Amino acid sequence: MSALPIDVALAWESLPALFAGLRVTVFLTVLPLMIGLMLAFPICFARMSPRRVLSLPAEIFVVFFRGAPLLILLYLVYYGLGQIEALREGPFWVLFGSPFGCAIVALSLNHAAYMVEVLRGSLLAVPHGLVEASEALGITRRNIFLWVRMPLALRYGLKAYQNEVVSFVKGTAIVSVVTITDLMAVANAIFEQTYDPFTPILCAATFYWAFVNVLRIGFQFWGRWLNRHSAEDAVAAPAGRTVTP
Amino acid sequence: MSPRTLPADLAAVPAIHLAGVVKRYGTHRALAGVDLDVRRGERVVICGPSGSGKSTLIRCINALERHDGGRIVVNGVELTGDEGTVQDIRQEVGMVFQHFNLFPHLTALENCMLAPRLNRGLSKAQAVKLAMAHLERVHLADQARKYPARLSGGQQQRVAIARALCMEPRILLFDEPTSALDPEMVKEVLGVMEELAASGVTMVCVTHEMGFARRVADRCVFMDRGEIVEEGDAARFFEAPESERLRHFLAQILR
Repeated sequence: MSALPIDVALAWESLPALFAGLRVTVFLTVLPLMIGLMLAFPICFARMSPRRVLSLPAEIFVVFFRGAPLLILLYLVYYGLGQIEALREGPFWVLFGSPFGCAIVALSLNHAAYMVEVLRGSLLAVPHGLVEASEALGITRRNIFLWVRMPLALRYGLKAYQNEVVSFVKGTAIVSVVTITDLMAVANAIFEQTYDPFTPILCAATFYWAFVNVLRIGFQFWGRWLNRHSAEDAVAAPAGRTVTP
Repeated sequence: MSPRTLPADLAAVPAIHLAGVVKRYGTHRALAGVDLDVRRGERVVICGPSGSGKSTLIRCINALERHDGGRIVVNGVELTGDEGTVQDIRQEVGMVFQHFNLFPHLTALENCMLAPRLNRGLSKAQAVKLAMAHLERVHLADQARKYPARLSGGQQQRVAIARALCMEPRILLFDEPTSALDPEMVKEVLGVMEELAASGVTMVCVTHEMGFARRVADRCVFMDRGEIVEEGDAARFFEAPESERLRHFLAQILR
């Protein structure tokens, strides 16, 4: 056994498999992030509605899918839904019959629930005076949202969004339990074949680290560009309001 | 788009007609039946102690606050719960706020361009031309590309005035426009407002700047506890106040 816990030759040999796993991880990150975000907007609007018929179901959605552990949610979707015969014979089986479909559904719902609260916190942080100024200018509610509230909410909420994305990337590692060979599953398989725990796991960790840091750098540039108007490096959120939910 | 419900003969109707306007917050009556007519081109200053309802009154005129009773008619259009009339009235009424409320993510120029582009569908070039003309009018053409965070309070408030002017409103409302400014910046903002007053636009201004009121106002209105206690032309208002409450108020602020 060498002084290094890493077997360089094994690491080198594992690279193609690890890259294939990384591709799956990236895919299972990007797609649910997009679907989750698209779901989050209408649910957030419902959540913020003064009408209880809209806000209550949205609140229940958030409480349920944010509260449910991702692993259990994934099990429920993958194993639980398969018990329903009507579903097995229905058109949605294309989606729920595949582990990928189930993982994307579970991850998207989980991400959506978190994003509803990130969005809501960011929208609430927009000073009311700016909305009033827009109203006084005769700008319609839809345009106020598109041109004033949302651009500012994006600036206030970017850090919280980044946190959510980063923890989401690492959360995708659980998809290996439903037979998907993502980065974690590849590392695990190499471990089981070689009985070397360090090399594949540390390699996988490096891949995750690199992925997360590529995202971090992307967010950094995005944030700098968004806040180019500011004397400080971020728009000062108004005192007394929290940006993170 | 031009407002649909605007009457044909604008000169015949008062710019603003308020009759028995009531506004309640819970059990508190912020406005207890206010009657006020503002003629076209008139410059009215509203003053009064804090909590007297003066800000609430002008915020009711462009429906930032919805009144609970009485009538508000702006340019002959009655303000109702209907979103269409609210939008029509807001196209005609500009407002300047105590805390400027500039959009922090947009430059001075973009602040001025936003409403004309969104509401009137101006092209970018047309909007730039319009915005620059009004920034010129408030003597800030050279600061057009700066973001609000880089401007002084006085400059920000002048940008806010230019932004309101870009919608070419017939009526301008000012809600304590100089109260959040350092003393040395008050003058530059009042100077711009005096130039505006000379241009013939209808102005309703809530302010404690009594010098400005004397120089500019056609009429001064004193409010206390949600009602108009006394009104009159500026000279009589300051030299010969009739009510005890106004005498007391003037003694406090003029000292």
